[in-house]
Amino acid sequence: MHKILIVDDEEGIRMLYSMELQDEGYDVITLPDGNGLLEVIEKENPDCVIMDIKMKEFSGLDLLQQVRKRHYNLPVILNSAYSSFKVDLKSVAADYYVVKSSDLTELKEKLRLALESRIP
Amino acid sequence: MLQSTSLTPVAKIQGKGFNMRFVEDNPNGIRSAEIVVGIPSLNEADLISFPTQQADRGLTKYYPEKSAVIVNVDNHSPDDTHRSFMSTATETPKIYISTEEGVTGKGNNLRNLFQKALELEAKAVLVIDADLQSIAPMWIRNLAEPLFDEYDFVAPLYIRHKYDVTVTNSIAYPLTRALYGRRVRQPIGGDVAFSGRVARSFVDCDIWNEAIAHFGIDVWMTTNAVRKHGSIIQSFMGRPKVHKLRDIDSQVGMLFEDVVGTMFELMVNFDSFWKDVRWSRPTAVFGFGLGDMEVPPPVNVNTHQLWEKFVTGARQKWELYSAVLETEDLNKLEEVMDIPAMGFEFPSGLWAKLIYDFAIAYRQASIDRGELIRSMIPLHYGKTLSFVIETEAMNNQQVEEFIEDQCLQFEKTKPYLLERWG
Repeated sequence: MHKILIVDDEEGIRMLYSMELQDEGYDVITLPDGNGLLEVIEKENPDCVIMDIKMKEFSGLDLLQQVRKRHYNLPVILNSAYSSFKVDLKSVAADYYVVKSSDLTELKEKLRLALESRIP
Repeated sequence: MLQSTSLTPVAKIQGKGFNMRFVEDNPNGIRSAEIVVGIPSLNEADLISFPTQQADRGLTKYYPEKSAVIVNVDNHSPDDTHRSFMSTATETPKIYISTEEGVTGKGNNLRNLFQKALELEAKAVLVIDADLQSIAPMWIRNLAEPLFDEYDFVAPLYIRHKYDVTVTNSIAYPLTRALYGRRVRQPIGGDVAFSGRVARSFVDCDIWNEAIAHFGIDVWMTTNAVRKHGSIIQSFMGRPKVHKLRDIDSQVGMLFEDVVGTMFELMVNFDSFWKDVRWSRPTAVFGFGLGDMEVPPPVNVNTHQLWEKFVTGARQKWELYSAVLETEDLNKLEEVMDIPAMGFEFPSGLWAKLIYDFAIAYRQASIDRGELIRSMIPLHYGKTLSFVIETEAMNNQQVEEFIEDQCLQFEKTKPYLLERWG
């Protein structure tokens, strides 16, 4: 079973995503912000991280660079209510960028692609 | 004219299948350099001084402690690029190298550069285009710095006009990404950097043909680096690429056959690798937030002319298409040819399948490969017209998202390629 780490400061989003992804058969863990993110990744060894960008004192784009330095092969999906962060080149380091929506079809699709990606 | 009296004939026969003679002007007798900046050229006497000066400024500003040399690798240019380069005032020593008279091709120049970089025992090899008008000293740092960290190959990332080098957006980027699984946005960018280790692997690579010896060399380097070395990064140059202005027609004339021919040749040679690749992964970026987001210069486009070239050219090549394309794709192409210029659209899914069909035909080699690739040019005009119309009102970011969707089509259509490739 794939383990997914959701990093989002909105409790409602964490709950919604947890329920939806658990229904899809994923094992889900959550974090309310970037505090201890790298430690959680090392301890829990998730298969993919779904991360918000604007989180109070944390920037998902900066957290993404930290994740890339230590866990280059870990797929990361940026998930924001704003599409404007796409112009920031830091977002290029994400596997996918999905704008938040109550319909999780695109997020689930990109999650599937991220988990299936393979380079010899 | 080339001042042959100042040149030393040199024979180099060290790489696999590499048996090209060249001549050299090395007035400072440079025998080693940690950083080598290579500038390939053919008749660039009017423009080469500027990138040479900028490279010199970058080297002296950012790497004063490292030994460096600027190498012009030329095609024996009759406009005396040699003199223009060597007379440019620089603190960094310079070496001029030329292919023999009559031997042209950017790839041939770069192969001389690879060889010279090995001789000089370079740790970092940078390549910049001779017609660059927007290069700044920072480009040298941005290309070289990742090589002194942990990376082996640096591809450029810069803002380009949406119609500049249409071959990149419609084929080179989506196809390399779908095949090899790495998202390198400018696989034929021209301004790249690589380690001495990669220079050695380039010299040792025995996949070489006329297309690679010319403008296929850029995608050849990127693909070889992606396939053999995981440590690849894209470096943001901070300014748009501004070079000799060309309209879409002249871009296609210059690049299409070499780039697509090289990609297909590498597909044939590397199929055991790309058949195992699924979807794609991002490539790290170095240097974001540098400089202002400048607007690149416009590229001329004539939509009616593109439509004419698509429809007329495709009709002329129909017999060949009938031999290459699956019946379903042929029927869909016929539908597309019936759409008038106004409101024209070339579906991305069909485009991806056509490219895969042609790649399969290239592998089968039942049609002359040069003729096969040239026959794709009308289709490329059609796809370019569709791109121009669909992205007309889009800003750069929207265009990037549009291209992202097109890349996903190539990735999603890959099972079709795998099934037909066998």
